[in-house]
Amino acid sequence: MVVRRTLVVVAAAAAALAAAAVSLALGAVDLPLSDVIDALTGSLGEGSTRQIVLELRLPRTVEAAAVGAALGVAGALLQGALGNPLASPDVIGVTGGAGFGAVLILIVFPGSIALLPVGALAFGLLAAGLVFAIAWVGPDAGGVGKLILAGIAVGALFGAGTTAVLTAYPDRVQSAIFFIAGGLSSDGWRELEIVWPYFAVGFVAAICLMRPLDRLALGDDVAASLGVRPRLIRLIAGVGAAFLAAAAAAIAGLLGFLGLVVPHVVRLAGGTSSHTFVVPVSAISGAALLMAGDTLARTVKAPIELPVGPFMVALGVPLFLLLLRRAV
Amino acid sequence: MTAPALEARDVRVAIGSKEILRGADLTLEAGRLVAVVGPNGAGKSTLVRTVAGIQRRTSGEVRWMGQELGELRGRRLARIRAFVPQRSAVPDGVTVTDAVGIGRSVHVGPLQRPTRHDRDAVAAAIERVGVGEFADRKLTTLSGGELQRVQIAVALAQDAPVLMADEPTSHLDLGATVSVAKLLRSLAADGLAVLLVAHDLSLAAAVADTVVVMSGGRSVAAAPPSEALTAERLAEVWGVDASLQGSAGGRTALHVDWLETSGLGIPN
Repeated sequence: MVVRRTLVVVAAAAAALAAAAVSLALGAVDLPLSDVIDALTGSLGEGSTRQIVLELRLPRTVEAAAVGAALGVAGALLQGALGNPLASPDVIGVTGGAGFGAVLILIVFPGSIALLPVGALAFGLLAAGLVFAIAWVGPDAGGVGKLILAGIAVGALFGAGTTAVLTAYPDRVQSAIFFIAGGLSSDGWRELEIVWPYFAVGFVAAICLMRPLDRLALGDDVAASLGVRPRLIRLIAGVGAAFLAAAAAAIAGLLGFLGLVVPHVVRLAGGTSSHTFVVPVSAISGAALLMAGDTLARTVKAPIELPVGPFMVALGVPLFLLLLRRAV
Repeated sequence: MTAPALEARDVRVAIGSKEILRGADLTLEAGRLVAVVGPNGAGKSTLVRTVAGIQRRTSGEVRWMGQELGELRGRRLARIRAFVPQRSAVPDGVTVTDAVGIGRSVHVGPLQRPTRHDRDAVAAAIERVGVGEFADRKLTTLSGGELQRVQIAVALAQDAPVLMADEPTSHLDLGATVSVAKLLRSLAADGLAVLLVAHDLSLAAAVADTVVVMSGGRSVAAAPPSEALTAERLAEVWGVDASLQGSAGGRTALHVDWLETSGLGIPN
């Protein structure tokens, strides 16, 4: 059991390292790994190689790692907190809200394109806030069923808003497609500079919740027997996941599928649902998957960059189905 | 004289405008088994959940080991009483040892790892309920009776002096019911204060030192089984013509006049 978990951790970490190396080395210009290492350690002199690695590929690779880790952790938090294997950032409305915020900026205010991450973040959090506000009043406040239904309703509302904006400006739809499909860009550290505090809050919340979430596994009554307040844990987990997913959407568009599938892959591979395993390993695996997917997306038809969303799904789904087939 | 493990007086609970408990008393003592019985909707589960601190009360006094419930938070309460719910979730991928480890977590600090002592306590709880051979099995592969024993092991791992079980046998077959009954009785013999919510009156009469009868949100009796479950009370509270017969060695029978009683409901 312990051996199996250790193997999974080692494999995920190795995959993440390999994906990072490939992401830094490959692109419009393929660089030898030694040059990449030299550029990173500062032993490479001024020049285009150094510039490509440090100013284009490093920020993009770090973004991919952060977004992948954030979505993996957001999914793990929500699936644990809601006790529902279908939970993902979509379920608490974040994806729908962030999509609406981004499309609003891209299509209605294309002159303010710099506000894209802010719009996605703000509307993602607004949608999650609405979901929690609805789910935490009245009888059964904070119940799982109520939260999921509120999330689906609010998600549908923002989805309809997105569709309305797209149909009102049919000539500008093209500019929104990349965001909706999900993809990273090579414009330095700008987006990370805006959203890193949200990542930080979300990851800290996730670390603090690993043990409490385990205590929810046997149901709210057992959790209450253990002195845990299940609804409070669910609220903190939901807010943490909303921060992570909204910040991820601000950088890379709508990649909610990653948040659904990564924690499942981790659980099936590790043979355990313990959050002290699932949360950190989902972070590493999510980072590995998105770095690998992004590298594929920008090299397979270079110099054209394809949106990473479909690639990640193409990488993730076969692995997921393989593990699912062998699951008990 | 030391304070009883639990002393609850005149507990009242209203949810919205609906009064569910209208004044219930409950006392638990170390080494004794108390069974709470009553018809559906009488407030048995609400009473137990309320004194356990899971359901909010409207008024009334609840003292654990002499301390007011409101002053006991989180882990401190979790180390005094363990609660086995009527139904608990059966998550995928969780083994018996994992599940019982979750119960033990109340003794593991937020930044600590379980010590050897904690692992031994988990193993001991699993052995104590007799599921040692299933320790590495997943919960999803267990039968109802096995699962119920695991739930009790989760509570035992809390290492609390009081064990409360809300209808632990309601979904079990006769054999599994008897084995859970024996287990609870033997835990009382170990010195735990055990509380059992039960529908099955012959079971309650066989294992309990004291039977608390709930009716319409009130506790209407708290006495040894033969005094609490008289034919008059069975008629008054359950509306049936029935009598309870017991003999030494925990053999009990509930004689019910199933068909002759006109116009009166029967318990289910």
